[in-house]
Amino acid sequence: MGHTATAQAGSGGLTATEHRLANGLRVVLSEDHLTPVAAVCLWYDVGSRHEVKGRTGLAHLFEHLMFQGSASVPGNGHFELVQGAGGSLNGTTSFERTNYFETMPAHQLELALWLEADRMGSLLTALDDESMENQRDVVKNERRQRYDNVPYGTAFEKLTALAYPEGHPYHHTPIGSMADLDAASLEDARAFFRTYYAPNNAVLSVVGAIDPVQTLAWVEKYFGSIPGHDGKQPPRDGTLPEIMGRELREEIVEEVPARALMAAYRLPHDGTRECDAADVALTVLGGGESSRLHNRLVRRDQSAVAAGFGMLRLAGAPSLGWLDVKTSSGVEVPAIEAAVDEELARFAAEGPTAEEMERAQAQLEREWLDRLSTVAGRADELCRFAVLFGDPQLALTAVGRVLDITAEEVQAVAAARLRPDNRAVLVYEPLPAEAGEADEADVNDENEGAEQ
Amino acid sequence: MSDTAAVTMTFHPQPQAGEARPWAFPAPERGSLPNGLTVLRCHRPGQQVVAVEVNLAAPLDAEPQGLDGVATIMARALSEGTDKHSAEEFAAELERCGATLDAHADHPGLRVSLEVPASRLHKALGLVAEALRAPAFADSEVDRLVRNRLDEIPHELANPQRRAAKELSRQLFPPTLRMSRPRQGTEETVARIDSTAVRAFYEAHVRPATATAVVVGDLTGIDLDAVLGDTLGAWTGNFAEPLPVPPVTADDTGRVVIVDRPGAVQTQLLIGRIGPDRHERVWAAQVLGTYCLGGTLTSRLDKVLREEKGYTYGVRAFGQVLRSTADGKGASMLAISGSVDTPNTGPALEDLWKVLRTLAEGGLTDAERDVAVQNLVGVAPLKFETAAAVAGTLADQVEQELPDDYQAQLYAQLAQTGTVEATSAVLAAFPVDRLVTVLVGDAAQIEEPVRALGIGEVTVVTN
Repeated sequence: MGHTATAQAGSGGLTATEHRLANGLRVVLSEDHLTPVAAVCLWYDVGSRHEVKGRTGLAHLFEHLMFQGSASVPGNGHFELVQGAGGSLNGTTSFERTNYFETMPAHQLELALWLEADRMGSLLTALDDESMENQRDVVKNERRQRYDNVPYGTAFEKLTALAYPEGHPYHHTPIGSMADLDAASLEDARAFFRTYYAPNNAVLSVVGAIDPVQTLAWVEKYFGSIPGHDGKQPPRDGTLPEIMGRELREEIVEEVPARALMAAYRLPHDGTRECDAADVALTVLGGGESSRLHNRLVRRDQSAVAAGFGMLRLAGAPSLGWLDVKTSSGVEVPAIEAAVDEELARFAAEGPTAEEMERAQAQLEREWLDRLSTVAGRADELCRFAVLFGDPQLALTAVGRVLDITAEEVQAVAAARLRPDNRAVLVYEPLPAEAGEADEADVNDENEGAEQ
Repeated sequence: MSDTAAVTMTFHPQPQAGEARPWAFPAPERGSLPNGLTVLRCHRPGQQVVAVEVNLAAPLDAEPQGLDGVATIMARALSEGTDKHSAEEFAAELERCGATLDAHADHPGLRVSLEVPASRLHKALGLVAEALRAPAFADSEVDRLVRNRLDEIPHELANPQRRAAKELSRQLFPPTLRMSRPRQGTEETVARIDSTAVRAFYEAHVRPATATAVVVGDLTGIDLDAVLGDTLGAWTGNFAEPLPVPPVTADDTGRVVIVDRPGAVQTQLLIGRIGPDRHERVWAAQVLGTYCLGGTLTSRLDKVLREEKGYTYGVRAFGQVLRSTADGKGASMLAISGSVDTPNTGPALEDLWKVLRTLAEGGLTDAERDVAVQNLVGVAPLKFETAAAVAGTLADQVEQELPDDYQAQLYAQLAQTGTVEATSAVLAAFPVDRLVTVLVGDAAQIEEPVRALGIGEVTVVTN
């Protein structure tokens, strides 16, 4: 840890206090008066992993319904009131959780708490067929826009389905299938709410220019009377053997602009030292423009337009190391694959150099500083560690753990995990298509979740 | 049907706001270095990741004829080796600082953006200065960037949103205007670019006297003058004036162009024209009116298209500055963008025009105006929490020849803008008969229903 960028290794002197209401709601508060804003973040411990066969996409569809009004808030009032108060808000759904968040001018904090409590306690009094049918159509259009109508848009869904076996809770992604979205009924939505939307299945964090005593009093006032209940079954076990045992492979021939090689490697669960070591390994191999894969494929071989690794950290199932290579024109996938395998094998045999460790850890540290640079980012991380690992304080020390990883640990996890018999591979082969011209404008982003 | 949880919960009346705490858009300190570089600095306590933006007055209009894309290749080549580091070494040294560096060419000029933890600012800024002062532009690196750029083009064309943007520019602007053509060049023009062209563009347009550096973040314990003197201060160049640019003109005759994409499950909409830039007094009212039309999911467009009909995941109206100059030759793109499912393309466009006509007939309401002002002004402290957000806006202001307190003034103007002004601004921005509609979708399915709407002549172009 001799090369950290800040004295406190990223936590910047931040602190957080923890509280629990009688109904089981866990509350995390963190005070910071640098800017007059306050972030509210509410994580419900439910995601697409809790969905059952035939009802994929229900957690995310339900997240949309949470913005359709509750007992004291008609129609689009959740959006109108927050935005009218100078705040911003949204919700997202992933495999492991559903989160809702507002960032408010500090003097409007109480409104956000009142709104979140109202829908936690009374959503079903407002939920009706009309909003269900409407949001079903909106979500189907979200699926078309983000996945079905863009090249390689369904790659994530396809690789996930390969990487986690049929019947595994992470076999399907949060967006769900069109058929299941069509099949979801109002009664399914009601049952989902009754099962998962309870104060004792949630963590609330409030971060920013707050008075902790006053904030806690408001939380007690608005959330305190919502009854807790224990209708929730534990999620299906997501544990899998450490190694897939053989390479799983699918080749897609469709209208894409170039050949592509994508792969998902099975990695350790989030929350372990091995997972942090894997993060460093993937950064050395495929993060940024000085990584081994970028230098090999984009700079030296010039066989790829872009090449890199990403990581999907998961707590309830093995994490995934995400390889994405788009080929240069005329290059065949086997050439890319051979080069990738050669680089991974060399890395497993030799491990990272001291300079590579320094670079990767400096990059990961900056990413943490970025995430903690806003009150909303901090609120989300506090909830994440509270929900997934039972301790929000771990958010404030996470960067220190990444910086504590040694080269030996990085090499060990690479040797154990980044192997051909531990990956699902997706190869894209384009249909013959005409060439065209260049163009402009912004790129669409894509992430593992699904937003309101 | 009542629910048990709702029955047992205690309800309270909606709380009232507390007392607002003052916040103002940060005022930067302006100065310059002996080499002519303008410097804006802004201390933001707690922001440990410092953001640096460098504006270079190298507009796309300055690209030589037939070499569209040379500014982009030059921007990328800046970080591909210098007099002291090879391309690989340079990338490695930057990442060793935990830094990210991005360089991007657009119509008004070139922007270099650095983000780095404050403790490593000195070293990272040294690398940025090296890239600006002494880029290597090695043949092999430039050739590689050209091939890489050529390989990117098919990916951009395949993206419906980007394909629509390209078509709208081609439709709106006269072919003689650089804005009519893709910012990053075409296959034909990019293929002609070599290291000689890149170096010539660099020598003609990159110099400290026409550049501005914006530095924002927690600068506690940093002697910024010393850091700047050591780094960007070592950059030299002549004091020639920047190139004048031609005025922006466009043909916004109402019409529809369908970019045919057989089998597409959605139609990408991009409906636009050009309008005034930020030097016009109407800008604040236009921001306000445009927000009411399509700024969020409770605005007029999404209230119908998304929340009532479910045709879309979201449609947005926006005004985006293309180029803004003090002499009044600038313009902004005013547009409505989103995607709708293929079978509902006709009905969605019909509703969209109905929303515009209803707005023209009845205007905005005071309540709409109030909520919009409260949002646009109220979110300012949230929006400018990070150093990068502040630096980006300060650099935009410089690039657009606006005063350093422009953003602060804009908030004051928004608060004073009335419903009538906002209505007339948004109606002037989006007149129903002066909109160019680009649809990227399945022509066989959408052409007939779109023709039936009578929103302008319809032509179909191949993808």
